[in-house]
Amino acid sequence: MLVLKLLQSLVKALHSEGTPGQVAAGIALGSILGFTPLFSLHNLLVVALIFLFNVSLPGAALGWAIATPLGFALDPAFDALGRWLLLGIPALTPLWTALANAPVIPLTNFNNSVVLGSLVTSLVLFTPIYVGSRWGVRRYRETLGERVKNSGLYRAITASKLFGIYRLFRPSA
Amino acid sequence: MPEIRTFRWRAIVPFALFLVLVVAGWLVFADRLGRLAVERGGTALLGARVEVRSLHIALTRGNVTVSGLVAASPFDSLKNLMEADQLVAQIDVAPLFEKKVAIDRLAATGLRFGTKRATSGFVPSHGESATTQIMANVRSWAAQPALQVPLLQLATGALSIDSLDPRKLQTVQAAESLTAHADSSGRAWAAQLGTLNVQATADSAVAFAQRLQVAKPTDLALLRDARRTIDRVKQTRDRVVSLERDVQAGAGSLDQGLAALNAARQRDYAFAKSLVRLPPIDASAIAWVLFGPEAVAKFQRALYYTQLAREYMPPGLKPHAEPAAARRRGVSVQFPREHALPGFLLRDADVSLLLGADSAVRPYSGRLRGLTSSPALYGRPTTFELRAPTLSADAVFDHVHDTPRDAVGGTIQNVAIPDIHLPGLPIRVTPGKGDLTLGFSLYGDSLRGRWQVLAPRAAWQRDSGGPGGPAADLLWQVVSRIDHLDLTAELSGTLSQPQLHVRSNLDAAVADGLRAAIGDKVAAAEVTVRARVDRFADSSAAPVRARVTQVKTQGAAQVAEARRVIEAAQQRLEQQLKKVTGGIFH
Repeated sequence: MLVLKLLQSLVKALHSEGTPGQVAAGIALGSILGFTPLFSLHNLLVVALIFLFNVSLPGAALGWAIATPLGFALDPAFDALGRWLLLGIPALTPLWTALANAPVIPLTNFNNSVVLGSLVTSLVLFTPIYVGSRWGVRRYRETLGERVKNSGLYRAITASKLFGIYRLFRPSA
Repeated sequence: MPEIRTFRWRAIVPFALFLVLVVAGWLVFADRLGRLAVERGGTALLGARVEVRSLHIALTRGNVTVSGLVAASPFDSLKNLMEADQLVAQIDVAPLFEKKVAIDRLAATGLRFGTKRATSGFVPSHGESATTQIMANVRSWAAQPALQVPLLQLATGALSIDSLDPRKLQTVQAAESLTAHADSSGRAWAAQLGTLNVQATADSAVAFAQRLQVAKPTDLALLRDARRTIDRVKQTRDRVVSLERDVQAGAGSLDQGLAALNAARQRDYAFAKSLVRLPPIDASAIAWVLFGPEAVAKFQRALYYTQLAREYMPPGLKPHAEPAAARRRGVSVQFPREHALPGFLLRDADVSLLLGADSAVRPYSGRLRGLTSSPALYGRPTTFELRAPTLSADAVFDHVHDTPRDAVGGTIQNVAIPDIHLPGLPIRVTPGKGDLTLGFSLYGDSLRGRWQVLAPRAAWQRDSGGPGGPAADLLWQVVSRIDHLDLTAELSGTLSQPQLHVRSNLDAAVADGLRAAIGDKVAAAEVTVRARVDRFADSSAAPVRARVTQVKTQGAAQVAEARRVIEAAQQRLEQQLKKVTGGIFH
């Protein structure tokens, strides 16, 4: 089921009507949702960005679908990075202390090692993911795109009900 | 190329709807989520199941009401630590935006302690949780040899004496050590004597004296040499005298070693007695055997809750990490800041307690102040006090400074005291109504505790099941005639080296009874073990005594002989020099 959804996201994203840049931005934003623990306040902001900015929703779904298992697998690394940032750099302690005692920010759970480690990682990876995805989508559309678009699999996916909902939020030119 | 718009304006309404759904979801599920948070947080904090019947959050009134709070005991699966009918907290709303909970006032009503529960209150242990670690530490503390209580057993038939391993006897070890000491002393004295070349120096002096017999007073060079030779002889003599003093001191040390053998033997007698499987018959040990486990259990619980307070109310303002449950393992680091609110603060709580047996529950009220997750920020210790005609209780958790100081204590009069089972015996005492006192303090790692039971109308019960035997019969004969209980257990020392003293009014009576019943067996057993110790000790001590005597005698004789030789040579040389010079040199 998970593989099917991933495939669906992949096909939809690559053949959506958005530009490669819109798809790549969606993938990069979606990867933040996947890398970091979902129920964190900062993810509300990410969701808002995905909805309100003209980025590809299938792209965001694809980024989320790919990054979620990766995020779980990388949790020990996120934990180590978060601990290092929170406890290993004394120069940052005043910053964390100020943030921990500021309104709203503590609700983001930034003081949790996994949350901070994964958020920092996903922010650092944002630009490489965006650039890499944009190049990949462009190459795909130039080479395989048309053939896949004419395949039965593509027609089956685009005929699904979810695709109808997607059309409501498809990137507009 | 068409222009790409940055914003997706038509998504604003759906997104706003999404936010409305989130808020609506909060309004619908807040109470349930709050209840789950209290249950999960409480369970993690206490290390036993915490349940809440209902929880209502009224943020507009700054009010949270918890009904039917039940906290299970971490030590007894079918008992509750506490039940509360209702907790009403007046909270500050603003700190919630900083993820802080500040409760101005809390009214707790219908608190009951030690109630029974139908299902187990234990929770599966998680290896890395703080409570699991604290429980493991406290159990390890209670398992220390200093707090282990032997079961009361009486020997039947032949007395059982555990095998006495001679290698464990201090006399044997001391004898081996003393033998090595004597040998090394003897070798050292001989070596030092050898380096002095006493015989060679004496021979040289005698030879020089013979040369002087034909010398003339005018042979000044020869006379100077004679003088130098005398100086050398005197130096050698002084060294011999010094060595003689060393030998005497060494002999004294060996004598002390021999005396230490006797002291070691006394300790071996005591050690060997401990191997005899007999109950203690001295009064001071009876209460320890009978009530020690109950006392240790009481202090163990007090220590657990004190350590929990230290874990969740850490001293100081340094950032500290706490295990967290964010997706996977991780830690949430707290960053307290001076003059800011702590993460949790309960300023003032009125606590209404219900105490007493089910048939005679009486209400009491107490006051809890300054319960906080960061005492250094709050700047004052957490205190609890309760005063009533027959009940008083106080608690202070002072974690404001680096060295935490915790103290809890309470006295309750004329209360039904739970039965106390005697360890390993089918006998229990039902103290009935009486006075109970429990005090426990932990300053740094220094312990002090006191548990006292005064029951003027105690009754003894003999259970049908369980192990019986002579110990139970004898003890029953003694205790069944005693109609009151006066028990005191006192804990002192440190966490790593605790000391527990228990005494009761049963001590002398039980000791007398035991002595009358098995005194002859005890005496015979003691004679037996002393004989065994003597056999092992004599076999080790006799050779070492002989060796010490030999080394001392030999050393003293060698040094004395060396001194005699060197002094004779010196005397002869001086006399000859005096004769040659007519008494000018001497």
